[in-house]
Amino acid sequence: MTPMKLETRHKIARFFQYFVLIVVGFVMIYPLLWMIGATFKSNAEIFTSIGFIPTNPTLDGYIAAVTQNYGGDINIWRAFLNTYSYVIPKVIFTVISSVIAAYGFSRFKFKGRDVLFSIMISTLFLPQVVLNVPQYLMYNTFGWINSPLYLPLWVPTLFATETYFVYQLVQFMRSIPHDLDEAASIDGCGPVKILYKIICPMLSPSLVACGLFQFMWSCNDFMGPLLYVTTPTKYPMSIFVKLSMDGDTGFNWNRILALSLISIIPQLIVFFAAQDAFIDGIAAGSVKG
Amino acid sequence: MKKAIALALAGVMSVGLLAGCGSSGSSSSGAASESATGETSATTASDSGSGSGDLSISWWGGDSRHTAYQNALAAFTEETGIQVSTHYGAWSGWEDQTSAALYSDNAEDVMQVNWNWLSQYSGDGSKFVDLNEYSDIIDLSQFPQSTLDACTVAGKLQALPVSMTGRIFYWNMNTFKQAGIEEVPSTLDDLYAAGEAFKTNLGDDYYPLALGEYDRMLLMTFYLESTYGKPWVEDNTLQYTVEEIATGIDFIQSLEDNHVIPSLQTMNAAGIDGNNSIDKSEQWINGMYAGIFEWDSSATKYQGSLADPSGFTVGNEIKFGDKANGGFSKVSMGLAITETCQDKEAAAKLINFLLNGDGASIMGSECGIPNSASGLAAAEAAGAVDELVLEANTKVMAFVDFQLDPTYESNDLKANPGGVYTDVFGGYSYGEYADSTEAATDLYDGVTEALEDAAKG
Repeated sequence: MTPMKLETRHKIARFFQYFVLIVVGFVMIYPLLWMIGATFKSNAEIFTSIGFIPTNPTLDGYIAAVTQNYGGDINIWRAFLNTYSYVIPKVIFTVISSVIAAYGFSRFKFKGRDVLFSIMISTLFLPQVVLNVPQYLMYNTFGWINSPLYLPLWVPTLFATETYFVYQLVQFMRSIPHDLDEAASIDGCGPVKILYKIICPMLSPSLVACGLFQFMWSCNDFMGPLLYVTTPTKYPMSIFVKLSMDGDTGFNWNRILALSLISIIPQLIVFFAAQDAFIDGIAAGSVKG
Repeated sequence: MKKAIALALAGVMSVGLLAGCGSSGSSSSGAASESATGETSATTASDSGSGSGDLSISWWGGDSRHTAYQNALAAFTEETGIQVSTHYGAWSGWEDQTSAALYSDNAEDVMQVNWNWLSQYSGDGSKFVDLNEYSDIIDLSQFPQSTLDACTVAGKLQALPVSMTGRIFYWNMNTFKQAGIEEVPSTLDDLYAAGEAFKTNLGDDYYPLALGEYDRMLLMTFYLESTYGKPWVEDNTLQYTVEEIATGIDFIQSLEDNHVIPSLQTMNAAGIDGNNSIDKSEQWINGMYAGIFEWDSSATKYQGSLADPSGFTVGNEIKFGDKANGGFSKVSMGLAITETCQDKEAAAKLINFLLNGDGASIMGSECGIPNSASGLAAAEAAGAVDELVLEANTKVMAFVDFQLDPTYESNDLKANPGGVYTDVFGGYSYGEYADSTEAATDLYDGVTEALEDAAKG
């Protein structure tokens, strides 16, 4: 037997690499595919078949998803509008306030900094459930419950309350050499200018990551809107999707799944759009570094 | 330079938003839902009709209930000129929202409440209005005294029962006919015979009845109350000894041994557990499990999930012993007026309209079979009552002869996974106990502890 040519061996190796990747990838993405298939199925089929191609495809789920309007109170488009009317400010303010807080912790020495930092980190381990009741009572005294501007949902983010992002940005900022700040200050930059001229551009991949995470978490947040939004016309998507999910009487799952699918489309678009910026940022950093 | 402009723009935007929030914060500090800030967004301005009103009401449910309430409220506004603003959603998370609202005096004027909320959130009577004070507006005589008593907590009639519900058997007669059985089972022997027939004629995978952990607990209570003729709990004390409870556990086991019900291991393997009810299983949908013991109000869900719903039949209650019929019904939900309501008379009018008046004909059986006599008559006249649920409800109410203890459904007992019922019946079915007495001891201790906790408040 003659030894295999190097090229052939490479091809075989490549084949197996791709084979494994495709199989694992398929297993990972199958639930999403199944969900898309299930939007065209009836309840009975959803619970009895694992295949994702529907045997008796129906568009009822989609039709119901876009036409259901609860007596004119709320429909899918308004729910979208409502969602983004507080998610977008939330994302912007989270990024801005977190950067400022992280800048303070990583670049300035002030009295009690370490203590404050450890207090902040400790809030990272505080589950949201514990905060629900005291926060609710506080917003209640402000008169913010059912605020038409969704105040309880986005105002806190003005104050860098998302510890996770502050922590992440502090870590990133630590990796940016202080020499750059010093060079900038010799050139006449003040602390504020250093932040947005020098640090922010270098942080951009991490800022995009913060924005992305906050965007997804906020879109998916159910408990916040449930507690603070009590007017049906103001319901966001996360509440709207669940409106008809009543355990007692049952409901058409295809509609819920169609609704869920439509509701994640903007998130997917934002994710893929931001992914480019994210990867660009990393690549640019690596070359310069 | 570009970045500087972007930052400046972001800054301006944030200042603008801040300014906006500042003004709205001060103007809306009193009444949160008023439209003082309406001009800031076109969406609220166009829809002030449902956003603000003289009264507010909250409920949970599915689409059809939402629609029924909306139609009934529209009719109420037409009749009285009172505007009603609404707050509704699905059950999941609803109690969290409601409890927060109740504790902070933020709740809607009229609330659809669960029966146990009355003792749980207003055990001292501080949250809900005593409806006896409005008996000139609400016709209380339409309700049976026993259900009014059940809603009387801390000496106040805190809610009016919308409907009563209880457990009953439902059968998929298509499968029964395949097994050669034409009649719905009406006695314990019928059940055993069905188990045998299913096994021999259809195979090991077919069962005439499927019971989860909590279903087993309920059926055992029916059995014990019928056999011994005494309530499960009275005066906050468990009325049964360990030996008596052991006979009940043996009874459930006899169903399993005679192929009447699948073991919990079999059911769990089929994907049925605390998170997935029987109606979502392939075995139920395709008729391999041909019976359930469920709340009368859940009939439509189980019927609707069947691949072939034509054989779905309301069964008969089965009398297991000779001392009593056994079993209980409970208030499934009520309507209450919160103490924070500004216009309690209007709220009372609304409740009377929904339960006794024209509203009842629009609500139909959306919240269960109306408990109010005139409400049921109006709903039936309007053809808004689900026949299946009505048949089941009528059978349950005619049969059961005991009261439900409020602790029976406490989370410590009922939770799946983790509750006492789940642990005992799951453990016994999985063979984790040496004998039924050991399982009965665990159940006895668990229930006694829950009752003591409830007594402490």
